[in-house]
This record gives sequence, C-alpha cells and structure tokens, in this order.
Amino acid sequence: MSDIVAQTAPRRRRLRLAPLIPAAAAAGAVAVALLLVAATGRPVGIAIAAFWDGIAGSAFAFGASFDRAITLAFVGLGFILAGRAGLTNVGGEGQLAVGGIAATALALHGAGDLPRMLAPALPLVGGAMAGAVWGGVAGILKVRRGTNEVISTLLLSFVALQLVYWCVQSTQLLRKPQTSDSTLPESLDVPDITQLPLLFPDTGSPLHIGLFLVLIAAAAVAVVLTHSTLGLRLRAVGLNALAARRAGINDRGIVVLALTLAGALAGLAGAIMIVGEQYNLKTDFTSGYGFDGIVVGLLARGSVGGVLVFATLLGFLRSGGISMEITAGVPAAAVLICQGLIVITIAGSAILGDRARGSA
Amino acid sequence: MMTAADIGTFSGATLRLAMPLALAATGEMVSERAGVLNMSLDGMMLTAAFAGALGSWATGQPLIGLACGLLAALVLALWQAAMSVTLRANQLVVGIGFNILALGATTFLYREIFGAASRDLIPGFARWPVPSLAELPVLGPALFQQTALGYAGLALIALTWLVLAQTGFGLSVRAVGEDPRGAEKAGIDVRRIRYYGVLYAGAMAGLAGCFLSIADIDTFTEGMTNGAGYLALAAVIFGGWKGWRTFLACLLFGSATALQFLLPDLGVNVPVAALLLLPYLLALFAVAGLVGRIRPPSALTLPYVPGR
Amino acid sequence: MLEIAGISKRFGALAALDDISLSVADGEIHCLLGENGAGKSTLCNVIFGVIRPDAGTMQLAGQAFNPSRPADSLRAGVGMVHQHFSVIETLTVLENMMLGHAGTRLPRVATARRIREISEEYDLSVESDRLVGTMSVGERQRVEIVKCLMLAPKLLVLDEPTAVLPPAEVDSLLAVCRKVTQRGCAVILVTHKLAEIREVADRVTVLRGGRAVTTARLAEADLGALVRAMVGRDVAALGTTTGAAHGVETAAEAAGMTRTGAAPTPIVAAEDALTLDAVSYVDEAGRRRLDEITIVIRRGEIVGLAGVEGNGQSELGAILAGLALPSAGRVFVDGKEITGRPPAVITAAGVGVVPEDRHAVGCIEALSVAENVCLSALGAFSRFGMLRRRQMAARAVDLMRSFDVRAAGPDAPMRSLSGGNQQKVVLARELSRDDLVFLLAAQPTRGLDVGAVAAVYDRIRTARAIGTGVLLISSELDELLSVADRILVIYRGRIIGERKADPAAREAIGALMSGHVPVAP
Repeated sequence: MSDIVAQTAPRRRRLRLAPLIPAAAAAGAVAVALLLVAATGRPVGIAIAAFWDGIAGSAFAFGASFDRAITLAFVGLGFILAGRAGLTNVGGEGQLAVGGIAATALALHGAGDLPRMLAPALPLVGGAMAGAVWGGVAGILKVRRGTNEVISTLLLSFVALQLVYWCVQSTQLLRKPQTSDSTLPESLDVPDITQLPLLFPDTGSPLHIGLFLVLIAAAAVAVVLTHSTLGLRLRAVGLNALAARRAGINDRGIVVLALTLAGALAGLAGAIMIVGEQYNLKTDFTSGYGFDGIVVGLLARGSVGGVLVFATLLGFLRSGGISMEITAGVPAAAVLICQGLIVITIAGSAILGDRARGSA
Repeated sequence: MMTAADIGTFSGATLRLAMPLALAATGEMVSERAGVLNMSLDGMMLTAAFAGALGSWATGQPLIGLACGLLAALVLALWQAAMSVTLRANQLVVGIGFNILALGATTFLYREIFGAASRDLIPGFARWPVPSLAELPVLGPALFQQTALGYAGLALIALTWLVLAQTGFGLSVRAVGEDPRGAEKAGIDVRRIRYYGVLYAGAMAGLAGCFLSIADIDTFTEGMTNGAGYLALAAVIFGGWKGWRTFLACLLFGSATALQFLLPDLGVNVPVAALLLLPYLLALFAVAGLVGRIRPPSALTLPYVPGR
Repeated sequence: MLEIAGISKRFGALAALDDISLSVADGEIHCLLGENGAGKSTLCNVIFGVIRPDAGTMQLAGQAFNPSRPADSLRAGVGMVHQHFSVIETLTVLENMMLGHAGTRLPRVATARRIREISEEYDLSVESDRLVGTMSVGERQRVEIVKCLMLAPKLLVLDEPTAVLPPAEVDSLLAVCRKVTQRGCAVILVTHKLAEIREVADRVTVLRGGRAVTTARLAEADLGALVRAMVGRDVAALGTTTGAAHGVETAAEAAGMTRTGAAPTPIVAAEDALTLDAVSYVDEAGRRRLDEITIVIRRGEIVGLAGVEGNGQSELGAILAGLALPSAGRVFVDGKEITGRPPAVITAAGVGVVPEDRHAVGCIEALSVAENVCLSALGAFSRFGMLRRRQMAARAVDLMRSFDVRAAGPDAPMRSLSGGNQQKVVLARELSRDDLVFLLAAQPTRGLDVGAVAAVYDRIRTARAIGTGVLLISSELDELLSVADRILVIYRGRIIGERKADPAAREAIGALMSGHVPVAP
C-alpha cells in the first residue's frame, strides 16, 4: 500500500510540473531581460511602460500586436503539424518569404482585376502554394535522398531570403520602376482591392480578417491531429516510420505531405503579411517571424491551443520590444535574448519528462 | 578577358571567404565525428566575432581581442555541451536557441557598448607577407599575405586532420561517434570525449568569428556571420566528415561567393543577388547527396546514456 | 577469483537482480543459466561496471571490487565478450585493439605484434588490417576474445557467446575457454542452452526472475532438475514446446512431442501459397545477402527456415514484408505477383507478417492497442477521413478476448504490455482475417516466456489448419523441429538443403547450418 503511494506521488507531481516549464522558462527569460535593461542604466519603469504601450497602448498598437501573433500562429501550426510526423520544420522563414513573393506577384499582376471577394484570395492561395512547394521540396529531399529536414529547410530559407533580395533588386522581377536614384529597392504597393479587409477600419487598428483565417486554420489542424485518420497516420510515422510502413501506411508520402502542409501554412502567413499589413515586398520583410514561429511551436509542445497562446505572447513581446527601442532606447534585441533563453531552457528540460516516463 | 590580376584577386577572395568557413567546419567535423551536432556554430562564430572586436577595440590589442573571442565561444560551447551531452537535449533545437540568443545578445551589447562609436575601425591583425613567396606572380599576394591568424588557422586545420587520424584521442573520437556503447566498453569516457569535441568546435568557431571581425574586415556589424555557420555545417556534410574534403567544400563555397567580385570585372552581367544565393544552393545540393553517397557517423545527434 | 554477495538492482518496479550471491573459483568455468529476462545480462553488466548495483558487494582476487565504469573493470582484470559485440564496425581490427589508448601517437607496430602473439597462443586466427564491418559474426567474436585476452584478464565474462555461432564454431569457442582456464583465468559463461555447455562447465548457477535459484557442480547435477529450476515449472507439464526451447530433451521425447503437435492434416493441399523464384538481394554495401532463393510453400504447410543468424533471414523477411526490394527474382502469393509492391498491396494479397523485430517493425509502442490493431485497416474504421474510435475499441476488445491478450484495455499504450502480450497483439492483427493465404513468422518467440511461446505455436498451427501456408524463420533448431513440417537450411544467402522436420535429422541440419553440404555419393 505504502509502496504504491510512494511510487505514484512523485509521478503525479512531475506531470503537473511539465506544463509549467515553458511558463517558468519564459518568466526567467523576461527577468534576465529586465536585468539587462537595468544594467544599461535606463529606468526600468519607463522601459516597462514603453513595452506596455507597444502592446496595448493604442488601438493601433493592440491591432498590430495581434497581426504579429497571426503570422507567428500560422508558422507555429505548421511546425506542430510536421512535428506530429516526427519532423522539425525550421524553414518557416523561407516559406514565409516565398509566400510573400508569390502573393506580391499575384496581387500586382492579375488579382487587381478580380472582384472584391476574390481579389485578396488569389494572393493568399498563391502564397500558400509557394510555401507548400518550399516545404514539399524538403520533404522530397528527405524521402528520396535521406537529407535531414532541419538542414534542408534551413538552407532553403537562406535561398528564399536571397530570392526576396533578388526580386526587389531587379526591375525585371518585382522592383518598382526606378524613377530616380532614391527609388527604394522594393515592390510597388499591392492594389487596394487585393488588401485584406480590416476588422475595425474606423479605430485605426490594423487588425485584419487574418484573425479569422488563423482561428479557422487552428480549428482545422486541431481536428486533423486528434480525430482524423491523417492525424493517426502522421503520429504513426512520427513514432515509428518502419512499423507504420509495414502496417500499410505510405510513410514517405506522409513525410512529404506533412512538410508540404507546414510550408503551406507558413506560405499563407507570408501572403497575409504582404496583403494584410505591409502592402509591398521589401528585403528582409520576414524579419525573423519564421524563426520566432519555431519558438512558438516548440513552446506549444504539440498543442494547438498552446500555439495560439504562445503566438499571442511572442507577438506582444515583439510589439513591446519595438516600442521599447523607439521610446526608451533599449535595443529590441533584448526580446531575442529572451526567446533564445526560452528555447534553450525548454530543450534542456526535456529530460525531466523523459525521467518521469522512464521511472513509471 | 581574365587577367592574371583577376585570378589573383579571385583566389585571394576565395581563400579569405573560405577561411572562416574552413576553421568552423574543421572544428565542427571533430565534434560530429564524436557524435554531437552543433547547430549553434553560427551563434558561436557571431559571439566570438563580437567579443573579439570588443576586446581588440577596448585594448587596442588584436591578440587580447582574439583571447576574448575564444573565451566567449568556449563558454557558449561549454553551455552547449552541457545541454546536448549531459542533459541530452535535442541538439538541433538547442542549437537554434543558441543562435537566437547569440544574435540577440551581440546586437544588444553592440548597440549599448559601441553605440555612436560604431563607425570606428577596430584594430585588427596586421598582414604578414611571407618574404619572397608573397612576391610570386598571380597567386603570391593572394596566398602569402595572410594575417598571423590566417597562417595559424591553416596550420590548425592540418593539425586537426593529423590528430584525428593518428592519435589515441582521434581514435576515441571516431569510436565515440560511431558506436558509443562499444567505445565505453573499451574503457573510453564517452561524455568526456564528446565534451572535448564540442569545446574544440567552439574554439575553432571562435577563431573563425575572430577572423571575420579582426583579421579580415576589421569591424563588427550586427548579425555579420550571415549564415556562415550554417554553410560550415553544410560543408561538413559535403565533405563527408573527412578533413580535406570538408576543406575543399569550404573553398568551393568561398569561390562561389567570390564570383561576385570576379564576374563584373569580366563583364559578365549576373545579378549580385543570384551570386549571393549560389553558396546556399550549392550547400543544398551537397546535403541532398547529389554529389555521391555520404554516410554520417552512426551516432550523430544521438544522446548517450551510460550503462543502459 | 570473484565473490559476489547480495547484489540487487531494480529498474523502476522491476527487480532485475534480487540478492544474488555466487563465487567463481580460479581456473573455473562457471556457467550462468537462465531464460530471457532472468537477469543474466544485467549481472554481467554489473560485473563489468556498466551498471551499478543498488546493493551488495563484490570481491575480485581478494580485493574489494566496486567498478563504476567499464574502464574500472578493465583495469582490475575483467574482460567481457558482449552479446552485442562491442567492436566498432567502421574501424579496423588493429584500431579496435588500440581503442582507449591515451598517448599522443598510436602504438600500431607493438599492438599488431601482440595480436599475432595472442592469436597464435590461443589458436584464434585474426587479421589485423581488416575492417570489422566486413567480417562474419564468428570472426567478430574472435576479435572480441582476442581483444579481451590482450589485457591478460583474471576473469573473462562471455555473455551468450554461442547464440550467434553455428555448431562447429561453438566447439572451437569452448576449446578456447578451456585454454584460457588452463592459464589460471576464471571464465563466466552465460547461456540459456544447457546442452552446449554440458562438456565444459565446472559449475552452474541457475538464475530465474533475478534470483540465483541454485548452484551445482555440473558433474553431480541432475539436468532435469536444472531445467526445472530455470523454468520454474515442470517442463513435461507444459507440453510440446518448452523443452525444445532449451535444447534439453532427448531425441525420443522430442519425437513424441513433435508427432502430437503435427497431427492435423492440411485441409487445402496442392495449392501454392508462396512462390519465391530465384530471389536475390544485394545490400547497400554491395554484399550479396540473398543468392537466388527459390522456395515454394503450399497452402496448409509450415516450412521452417533454419540457419545461424545473419545468413540472410532478415533480408528475406524484409522482402516478404514489403520493406525491401529484391535485386532480382520474383515473388508470388496465391499465384499473383507481388514483387517489390508496397506493404499495403502485399497485405491485401493475403499475406500476414510477424516481423522478427517486434519493437522496430511489429508495433508502435507509443500508440494504444486499438490503434495498433486498426492501423493496417484504417479505411474500415473511419468515415469522411475521421476516426471511428468506438468501432476501433470494439474491434480491439474482440481480438484481445480471442487472442487472450492481457492489457488494461483497448486504450492502454502498447508499451505497457509485456513482450508476450505485444506479440499476441501483432499475431491478432496479422491472423484475424478470413483470406489469409500466407503467413511469415520470423523469430516469433524470441524473448517470450514459456506460456506465450506455447500460445504462439498454437496460433501458427491453427493458421495451417485453415489452409494458410506458413514460413517460420527461426534460429532455434528445436523450435523448427517441433513446429514445422519440413525444414530448409539457409547459409550465406543460399538454400543449401532441405530435410524433413524429424528429430533424427537434427545432426544433418546442424551440419548444414554450419555450411557442410554432404557430398552426393
């Protein structure tokens, strides 16, 4: 009797502890960042106030924070979807980039002539497809050539970022006509009709209908992962590809599909960035959202709800960081420090979960 | 027309651009032969580049800068080893975390410390032309007008190959990366060897970072590695975890980047962006195994639990 | 030489070693006998410092011996030949021997000389410059032994050394053991087959469930009593199968048992369930693993495939399961060609597969029993792409009942089941269909306890009774003799002979397994 109690008690405590790890890591990382701010000699109070203003100080700030969260959530959803099949898609940045390129191209050439309902849809679909291709290539390389998807998606990201640079440098591609020496290397603005409708146009909030799109996508991913045969197939392949193949599952197809879907979600997010907030293509327009999306996916530990929560958190963190830099002069890189620490801590504490399982 | 001067410039640029890659890749190869993948290579290089620049700027002594850079990279490597060897964290994920952290921390500190002084030139290593050799036509100036760090780096790379092939330590490294259980049964301390491997990768990445900031362009810019660490990782794969092939891969990547200096001179009009893309594309082809079958160390990225 | 007192080791709730005490004398060959999971390997690992015990003490040659790492044991004079070899495949023999050397320069010449000396002294031929990866199992084992002897050990531990060897090489291994003891070194020999070590062992300690049940001088021991001690039950009472698994019954006993097991005559005959037509397989390294294998299995017969492990059985299993492409040749099931088709097509053609590696291929341990059972037929348990969990659970409960699977329920993770119950789930998934034409059972009883072994044999015989053709791949000759109708012998990727499954053919089959093809008169 006492034996049983002794064995189950610590296990239960660990189970309760597990979800707290991301929260504890986040809290610790924020504390480090605050210490850094204090170390620079700037008043921490003002920095915090600036941080808060950046998140929710105005309708604009609040909307912009959510727009950031939308992008992060799409990338994070893709990450956990691929993660279910045992794949680590770290190519979100590149998938965002090609999604943005495709969306810009379609919005500038073709979508402007469509009716209002369809005009924004075409760039979105195109962006998703471009992202799907970018993810799918990594999948095909994995099943055909045995290339680790972490390396391939990462290298594909660098290729995509250089493609963006190329597109906005060359007038034959997407660069706007050079009228003078001061013409910036960027594309023309996409036509108004292709821009995503704003939810609260009168308040000055940039929040757009991408919010609904991401909620629909989240619901769809949740259903697929928990209730569909595809979800079970993804899981089977992720847990044991060989056994899954023996059971008649096309494991290679599943790998390609998982990375394609992950790429499509990130590509869609890239398109939303263009037709939702930025309205034109610029070098480095992705500015690290793809990498932050990985952090979201890691923190969420495979749960869709987790993706939404942490995407919002990181979106806010980014908004606050930018405002902190502008208003209080604290480099926004403090936010990166936070994120890096969070990822390292969580990856390093995975062993706690293993131990709990091992002794059970 | 390609002139002798063009060839000289091109080969000089190739070596200069390949050098940091080769240093980092050679260190990383040792770590991977011991079974640990350091995705954090880019972060270690960036950290060292910053710490090296900082030390050199503050003291005026590039040598002290080099020491600072090495130390910073080693601290990061020790942390990385603790995470991926002792705590058995996912080596890919933890490495990406370190890269984010390194980018954030160097950018933050750079703005805070250098601030307005960011345009200052940082004291770097002087070039040491080798007497008479540097006078050789065409390749002389390119190859024999390196900095001390450049010569030392080349020597270290060759020394690494020797250590790996000919010493007991090298044999242990190869065994630990192939079959850690077998190695442990032969009395080798698997974790210790892996720590040494990661620290070695850290030290070499530190040299690579310092090469960027105080032996090449003598300045620091935010995120100045620009993915060089990832290219070095790809070079290890391209090189099939073999010393000299990895070095050749780095030269190839370096020359792909150096083309942007050569082609305009030759009157070939290729967009710069397309050339910037080339090394990454080559690396992608390399890791996709389009250059022949390559077999990684069997235990690469697999954490080891003693006695199970 | 070695005194072990009160050693205990727990893994979670499992007591792998429970208060074990034994002593090994100088120059003695001491056998550890026990079934799978009895704790033999764990005890070896404790002696070699791989695992630290929770309690107990050891003494080596009168000194307190408390190794925390293999390096400690090596230094104290303990050499060990592991069940899974510890020589590293990508290194040469010479490099393997220098492993752990700390100096700055490798002593190539001195080491090569020492290897020559040892191999001459003990009559163990070993080539220094060959890559271990290119060697046969027997050669690798010799390398292991030479490596241990280079350190002039006081105690040599051999963990299941005979399991991977053909009969002829077993004899020469035992001869080496004797030579080693003549030089004053003690030997611990681990096995689950009593028959093989009868001639060499001085004393035997029987392990069961982590406890040392009995120790006896072999000269005075009653073999039947030893087996009873090992199994924990009376062998005869367990029926046909258990004695075979331990290689102890007399030929007469085995004959009687085999006949009772083989009783039901096939219902469907003269129809081919499986035809392999000159199937070859060349692996990635270019080695020819299978060489023009031709086999015909009729419906309602069990064909055994005998052979020492590593002679191509795994590759043949992988091809039949659809997990490997043959380099040449064709495969037919029920007259339909399935060469190189994916597993789903092969399954649809009426093939059931019990793979040799349950953990890697047979099931997915993190998924539930119901998910594992339904994984190969998801179409039948879904609507509009959504899983019908209730139907899946009902199916699983059905199968668990009819195959006597002990699990907490259909939603219990596969990982929580014992090995025997996991294997029953695999059998349930593969056998529970009306249209089963051909069953591949590869090493189906490996690692199972006695009760589960009997259940697996019953299921295979039932499949035969309804007209399924069965290929039973096993490295346990006694298993094949008691279950199969006829036995093919595979050696280095070729079928080199066929015999009736008659205990009288045991010697002949054993000879074939080691590659001796009788010359035709």
